[in-house]
Amino acid sequence: MSRTTAAPAGRLAVSLHRIGKRFPGVVANHDVSFEVRQGTVHALVGENGAGKSTLMKILYGVHKPDEGTIEINAERVSFSSPTDAIGHGVGMVFQHFQLADNLTVLENVVLGAEKRHGIADAARAEIGRISTAYGFELDPDELVETLGVGERQRVEILKVLYRGASIIILDEPTAVLVPQEVEALFANLRELKREGNTLIFISHKLDEVLAIADEITVLRRGTSVATVLPGEVTSHDLAELMVGAELPSPSTEESTVTDDVILDVAGLTVSDAHGRPELADVSCTIRAGEVLGIAGVEGNGQTELVEAILGIRKALAGTITLAGADLSTWGTRRRRAAGVGYIPEDRQRHGLLLDAPLWENRVLGHQTRAPSSRGIWLDRRGARADAQRIVTDYDVRTPGIDTAARALSGGNQQKFIVGREMSGEPVLLVASHPTRGVDVGAQAAIWDHIRAARRRGLAVLLISADLDELIGLSDSIRVILRGRLVGEFDPQTVTPQQLGSAMTGASERTEEPV
Amino acid sequence: MTALRRGVLALAAPVLAFVVAAVVTSVVLLGTGDSPAEFWQVLLTVPAGRNIVNMVNFAAILYLSGLAAAIGFRMNLFNIGVEGQYRVATFAGALFAGQAFLPGALNTVASVLVAMAAGAAWAGIAGVLRVTRGVSEVISTIMLNAIALSLVAYLLRRVGNRIGQTIETDEIPSNAWVPGFSLVPGETAELYGLALLAVVAGVGFAVVLNRTRFGFELRATGYSESAAIASGVDVKRMVLYSMLLSGAVAGLIGMPELFGASHAYGSTIQTGIGFTGIAVALLGRNTPLGIAVGALIFAYLAQQASPLGITAGISPEIILVTQGVVVLSVVIAYEVVSRYRSRLEQSAVAAALEAERRHEEVAA
Amino acid sequence: MRLRARFVAGLSATALLLAGCASGGSSDGGSEGSASDGAASQDVCESAEGDGPKIGLAYDVGGVGDFSFNDSAYAGLTQAVKELDATCAEAEAGAGESDADREQRLRDLADAGYTAIVGVGFVYSVAVYNVAPEYPDTYFGIIDGFNPTKSQKDLPNVANIGFAANEGSFLVGAAAALTTKTDHVGFLGGVDGPLIQAFEAGYVAGVEEVNPDIEIDSQYLSQDDPVKGFENPAGGKTAATGMYDNGADVVYHAAGKSGLGLFDAVEAAGKGNWAIGVDSDQYLTADPAQQPFILTSMIKRVDTGVFEFAKGVDEGQPPSGYVTYDLASGGVDYATSGDFLSAEIISQIDDYKQQIIDGTIKVPAETTS
Repeated sequence: MSRTTAAPAGRLAVSLHRIGKRFPGVVANHDVSFEVRQGTVHALVGENGAGKSTLMKILYGVHKPDEGTIEINAERVSFSSPTDAIGHGVGMVFQHFQLADNLTVLENVVLGAEKRHGIADAARAEIGRISTAYGFELDPDELVETLGVGERQRVEILKVLYRGASIIILDEPTAVLVPQEVEALFANLRELKREGNTLIFISHKLDEVLAIADEITVLRRGTSVATVLPGEVTSHDLAELMVGAELPSPSTEESTVTDDVILDVAGLTVSDAHGRPELADVSCTIRAGEVLGIAGVEGNGQTELVEAILGIRKALAGTITLAGADLSTWGTRRRRAAGVGYIPEDRQRHGLLLDAPLWENRVLGHQTRAPSSRGIWLDRRGARADAQRIVTDYDVRTPGIDTAARALSGGNQQKFIVGREMSGEPVLLVASHPTRGVDVGAQAAIWDHIRAARRRGLAVLLISADLDELIGLSDSIRVILRGRLVGEFDPQTVTPQQLGSAMTGASERTEEPV
Repeated sequence: MTALRRGVLALAAPVLAFVVAAVVTSVVLLGTGDSPAEFWQVLLTVPAGRNIVNMVNFAAILYLSGLAAAIGFRMNLFNIGVEGQYRVATFAGALFAGQAFLPGALNTVASVLVAMAAGAAWAGIAGVLRVTRGVSEVISTIMLNAIALSLVAYLLRRVGNRIGQTIETDEIPSNAWVPGFSLVPGETAELYGLALLAVVAGVGFAVVLNRTRFGFELRATGYSESAAIASGVDVKRMVLYSMLLSGAVAGLIGMPELFGASHAYGSTIQTGIGFTGIAVALLGRNTPLGIAVGALIFAYLAQQASPLGITAGISPEIILVTQGVVVLSVVIAYEVVSRYRSRLEQSAVAAALEAERRHEEVAA
Repeated sequence: MRLRARFVAGLSATALLLAGCASGGSSDGGSEGSASDGAASQDVCESAEGDGPKIGLAYDVGGVGDFSFNDSAYAGLTQAVKELDATCAEAEAGAGESDADREQRLRDLADAGYTAIVGVGFVYSVAVYNVAPEYPDTYFGIIDGFNPTKSQKDLPNVANIGFAANEGSFLVGAAAALTTKTDHVGFLGGVDGPLIQAFEAGYVAGVEEVNPDIEIDSQYLSQDDPVKGFENPAGGKTAATGMYDNGADVVYHAAGKSGLGLFDAVEAAGKGNWAIGVDSDQYLTADPAQQPFILTSMIKRVDTGVFEFAKGVDEGQPPSGYVTYDLASGGVDYATSGDFLSAEIISQIDDYKQQIIDGTIKVPAETTS
């Protein structure tokens, strides 16, 4: 499937022609071509693993392409480092900010670019100029650690502009933002565009792409499959281009909620090492067959809530009851053995032993139960057989169960974790961002598994940054803000915009939640 | 990945490391004006029967030391206190055995247990400090080493007897000695009876590590502490247990020689074994078999280096250079090979998926 | 992955560091030692081609280059090569050895055909008594040696070459007492054990014989670690500096190579402070800048012990059992190099010397603690 459209007029700022890049055994990019005109926003979309990041790293000089050509402002270039790229006016804003928290905005911006305007007044003047020109509203002397996420992102953009870039690559800039912040970002981007800067915007949030981009290039399996104009496509069209198949949707069917309370959290309070409250008086219940979705901007207590339920973090006050049994004094192991499945937020750090083979990862978290162990002994045969079952049932793409977890792609790692946590008849599943960074195919499969388990009477605590996922899967949604559960919404009626307001606290002043 | 390729990769790292060590040692020898040819001639001489026995005896001791270190390393606990633990333990064991509270073999068994308990207790101090106060075990075990050495020297002075120019604990009654056994036919030198402790400890380590829940939790903690915590492993308890276990094994280090040769703890006890054990564990990648190979290599080098000064006029200390370079290059070589291997594995996964995709496309 | 790599790298770095620590003293000493050792081997053992006795010298930790104990043994070896047409070999000890290692060294020497083998240092006692029965035609000498066997039965081919270090130390103790202006002297021992305690006991007795009111600071560098005790000039310097700062103006050492630190300390302490050497006449080997501070040395004729042992073997009359070199036999003495001791003091010391030889003064060999 390929479309050609009349592109907006203007000088070519970036032209990629038949770019190919192979890593040992993996073709990350092949035959990628697209052109970006000066003063436009060009979006690059594709599911995870489609090769977006590799492509942008090639453009930013981190990787060298194995084949193909790059032209910047009609000049053929070959970057061997990001320094080369910056020298040609290409800058990149990474998804994970690269800022030193304990330095000021000025220091962060100047760091590594001391030669441009020095480190004193000239630098301050330049930062002031850029900040005013684009409406960044940044105080050069403020410490970065005191800044919010949106402001930090603006510091990152400022850094790139300060270094003289006019072609700016933004890698999933909205992933960390709430809807209101996204709007602010887009305002900044439009300002940048008006000043003649060229923006390459990487995302997989199709609505946003349609809202901001002048042109959209879709990548699939490492290659560019189409370049389209936003006015001519719907987000559904884009998604089909990305996946090349029918789209899954996360909507649940009829309610399966029963009257059996599985998880009852009452007055849960958690403090950090310095006594600052992280969770305050949190109460909620989940019944068998119910999915409770927790919406919230990251860092508002989701991690603490999950870890308190799992027993990883000590609760200061409150009780947690699982199917009538008080868990408060139980350790993590006992809680898990009692039937709490756990899909952690960061699967690589909390859910897997990356260097251990898959079958040993089957044992992880289940080391006290059959089929992983018998008494004090590990049941290698049982664990291996069950790992094989998970690989088959959950369609984990791996050469075998002796392969190290590290070798698997993110989606397959996550499918394995889901399979593991669904085994052993759990009564409660705590799922943190279960489909984050997972490709569309795996995402659909994971949703299906959660739905199937819910039908069988599983209680699910679902924490997600993906509001569509929350709305589609949950039976009810609570919003967490600064350690408190502040609102309760019916997923049948709520809109992402309403959730966004509640997540940022805007609703506290304007409207009462339903 | 084929079995053959796996085998080649497994061998590549150590072979690479030894080539590097040989080259560096030769270069150092050339630099100091000594003859590498003579060095290698001495080093590669086929050892006599007696030397083989000594080598195996020393290897058994080093093995125990390497094992003690490896237990900690397996969960990223850097117990460098094996030296102090084994000194305290050997002293305690010798002291207990010398009192002859129990008859014969019972005394032997009890004394070994006392030594293990003393080693475990000494290591346990570092474990408790780490768990309750967050004191890095690196710091505490270094300090405990210093304290152990002084404490034992002090106590020895208090309870020991002067024998010639040395001070020793009461000699262990001969009915509690453990006889050696012949390793090389026709050779009078014998293997320490308690050298078998190394085999027992090695097998025990392998079984516990690979076949038990405890071993799994220990390895899981080593792979990823955060994943272990999330999986219900009580990491603090594991830290304490593995320190205790490490110390108990360290307590065995002195036993073969104590019951096989010296029969008392004296002020001329062999020192530094605990530190060499760290290198041996590194060389053996903390695996039961690997440590055995590492211990044999170290013992071989030490033994073969002995006549260097006499026959080749080269200071035997050059062998420390060889040992050091071997360890360093093994660490580097393994890292290189393991990266290469994980890349191979990733590409195998990718290739499998690619083939599947092609298949699907053809089908469609 | 990166974390693990860093852990492993850190581990190996530390392991090497520790391995360095464990043998630090000796490799440190080894570099100094082997430099002179290399030269020495070329001078004496490598060029020696006589048909006299075949002498094997097995050093203690430190080896040649300590300007003290081991060097003195080497001097005896040199004398034997010159006067007896001996051929020889030297072998160094590593740090923290076991008896098995020392036995190995002795066997290597015996197997290589050396028939007069000297273990330099009492640590060879156990090893020699284990090895000697296997080589009935080879003669073993142990400097400062003792019979470690329960039966105390002498072996016909083993000689324990002992020195009445307490007697020599008495004389330098007297010298110290007669020299001190502050009535405050010091003693710096290597390893706190019976051997070095004999030096201290004699020294203290000598000081007190002259003036029982003199204050004596005694300090040992280590309880049991020979490397820290005898191979540790830095530690020696620190300890000695402490004594000078504390008011002592004469310090005697029995600490092997660590004593070199004492000489650094006395030089730093300046005029009016003195150091007393041990084993060899250390004035002769000291740095010229430090010579003016070396009052005297307690001479322990290890060289004589080695030479006479070799000579005995050569002449078919190998010594066995305990052979003790005392003041009477000239095995210990004090040095007057540098002429810092006045004629008056010398006559007083010689007077004590005579009384010891006569038996009028009995010098204790053990400290009274």
